[in-house]
Amino acid sequence: MTSEPCRVAEEQVLAFVTGDMDPTASLALAEHLGECRGCREQATEYTSLLGGLKSCSAEEAVHWHRFETPFGMMNVATTGTGLSRLSWRQADPEEFVHHLGSLYPDRPAIHDAGRLAKAEHQLHEYFAGERARFELPVDLTRLSSFEREVLECVRTIPFGEVIPYSEVARRIGSPKAARAVGNALNHNPVAIVVPCHRVVRADGSLGGYGGGVDYKRRLLSLEGTPVLFSN
Amino acid sequence: MSKTSSALGYAAPDRVEKWVGRYGPELRRHLGRMTNDADDAEDILQQVWISAVEKPPDDGPGSNVRAWLYRVATNAALDSLARKRFRRCALQSVDFGATTGDLESPDAHFLRLDEKARTRVREECAKLPTKQREAVWLRWAEGLDYPTIAKRLDSSTESARANVHHGMRKLRETLLDIWEEEVER
Repeated sequence: MTSEPCRVAEEQVLAFVTGDMDPTASLALAEHLGECRGCREQATEYTSLLGGLKSCSAEEAVHWHRFETPFGMMNVATTGTGLSRLSWRQADPEEFVHHLGSLYPDRPAIHDAGRLAKAEHQLHEYFAGERARFELPVDLTRLSSFEREVLECVRTIPFGEVIPYSEVARRIGSPKAARAVGNALNHNPVAIVVPCHRVVRADGSLGGYGGGVDYKRRLLSLEGTPVLFSN
Repeated sequence: MSKTSSALGYAAPDRVEKWVGRYGPELRRHLGRMTNDADDAEDILQQVWISAVEKPPDDGPGSNVRAWLYRVATNAALDSLARKRFRRCALQSVDFGATTGDLESPDAHFLRLDEKARTRVREECAKLPTKQREAVWLRWAEGLDYPTIAKRLDSSTESARANVHHGMRKLRETLLDIWEEEVER
């Protein structure tokens, strides 16, 4: 719908609808809306838009934060369900936000240190050797059911221990799926918190790691886990 | 004012009657022009008086009851027009039963969209430039005031307000195009 040219700027119509106008100006604009069809249509459109925005809830965004760790800047994100992303790959925050945009096209990415303070605190404790277990809900809903099953199993591996891929496969009731387990671990969106670094090859060598094998070695070393062989 | 209505914060009947007599005719004309429908105008006007009883405006020295009444009436009329427009379009599943609030403040709005339309809003909001996206979302989805948003964005209050407005102007352009296309389909 097009608006007819009018002496009243769109900005004023918008300010009226959003309530960002003093009472005197607001009265004049209200009276004008009774007279001017173009502005009335514009105001109606903004009213629709405002209704749409107010219908959204905070939990429908993806909230993110970043902070310094021994691995460099750690990027974390959470949905209403739980921690949904943890990555130290993106040095630039915009790159991380862009990445979130591709993962969650219908969730605006909003920076919120407060919502992620608990995750930040627990990760600092972990890197300081003061935390063996994370107490954070995680959101694995974007994964396949098999991948979720693998990661839920991996969450139960205690701090300081490692198990082979084949053992994970056995524990989830798919003993022949060791390779598929490796692939599922590669899709872990919340490394460290879901400790996929605690899964190694049956011969004791490290195996792969989405974040880089050197980081896997560093994490196991931090946990005091002896690694028999490099790959 | 009776004790009960005073305790509830209601306006005394004689105060509202005074406003009805003084402002009723011009508000009726204003709403008639806004809605182009005498019945709708009358319905909205009744809502305005109910609102004036339940959440009366300040009518002390320096206050402006007329401005308050016009604001409530105009917002209610815009809301009614927005609903009618949605009823005509493909977004027929707009939830007309539920409301986002009563006519309890001059800035109350009613329109509540269904899941599909809300998803559209979020998708387009997600595409806004960072500051606009955050300002719009924090203001309306999270209900923060401008000073709090300014702190979150590390900016001035004016800049926070400007980012909300710029973001909303962009959203109006994109979302209305999308909604209009859906009407035509």
